[in-house]
Amino acid sequence: METASEDVLVSRSARGDEQAFGVLVERYKGMLYSMSRRLMKDPGRAEDAAQESFIKAWAALPGFKGESKFSSWLYRICYNTCISELRKRKPEVELDEAMGVPVEGPVQEFRNRDIQATIQEEVSKLPDDYRAALTLYHFNGLSYEEIAKLTHKPMGTIKAHIHRARAVLKTRLLERVGWDNLKEVMWQ
Amino acid sequence: MREKGTEGQRDRGIERSGSGAGCELLRSRLQDYVTRELEPESRRLFDAHLVECGECQHELALMTAVVSTLDHQPVLDPQPGFSEKVMRSLPRQRVFVFSPWWSLALAPLLAGAVWLFRTPLERGIAGLLGRYVPVSVTLPALTMQSAGIAAAAVVGLGLLVTAGGAVFCWRAYLRD
Ligand SMILES: [Zn+2]
Repeated sequence: METASEDVLVSRSARGDEQAFGVLVERYKGMLYSMSRRLMKDPGRAEDAAQESFIKAWAALPGFKGESKFSSWLYRICYNTCISELRKRKPEVELDEAMGVPVEGPVQEFRNRDIQATIQEEVSKLPDDYRAALTLYHFNGLSYEEIAKLTHKPMGTIKAHIHRARAVLKTRLLERVGWDNLKEVMWQ
Repeated sequence: MREKGTEGQRDRGIERSGSGAGCELLRSRLQDYVTRELEPESRRLFDAHLVECGECQHELALMTAVVSTLDHQPVLDPQPGFSEKVMRSLPRQRVFVFSPWWSLALAPLLAGAVWLFRTPLERGIAGLLGRYVPVSVTLPALTMQSAGIAAAAVVGLGLLVTAGGAVFCWRAYLRD
């Protein structure tokens, strides 16, 4: 069962085969949890959202006709779950407002994984819409078009969100890490 | 390597200083360059400008670091026991799962049905024998013994049919 192809597992799950669905959960739990963790930020709530996404997927599977990839379909459910959770929580803030917190100067010692950590931290400060577009593009590997369809936003808006978010991250990375440290890590 | 600030580059609005129009053009398309979304002609201009503009090289290195970090975000694992929690909270579905065990369960049902309709079945068999078998065959009277044999034959046939069905279902089950 663990080695069965995705199509087999999906069609068996759609007919109520829990064992097959268990394999899908095992396969996608990391992806779905990482995605909701990046969208929701809080680990506990992210886990709840990922769990809820799987339960919704299980209920909706008999209606899944395979027009899209199963993974894209699952991401859509997860995205919608996270976004509706986020909307319950707080009003959306603007990018400038969210990123307006001053940062301390560059640190002394720096390694590659610190760049990853810094970027993750700065991503988590982005407004929900920007963070979502960036996550769907870079982490889930969706195209601008797919993200636009999923989020019901114009493609131009999605592209602008991603571009602005990256520009902010670039500035923040430079502020926090400093060019000398970055150069050393990047060229090593 | 090309000469700094050749005519060809100036014609296209690209200059070598850190704040010229070339730099502006380049910075506005910097992300598309990094994510390889730039059309080939612009890409060539970009490359030519990069060779001689330190500031743009610097910008490019930074943006490359950002994009490549974003592209290589690690997959995070939920708490242990997450899958079990999900499976436990699935609502039970009333969906018919077509498995071999279902078809095996049909065997006694089929035998029972044949036993219930034994009289019309016996008549039908006698009729068929009368029509296609040239020699006149007299069916034994329905004694306890013949009824037992008939029932055993019917159950045997039912089992055979359902076993065939089971093999078919099992293959269908394995296939999809
Ligand atoms: Zn330049």
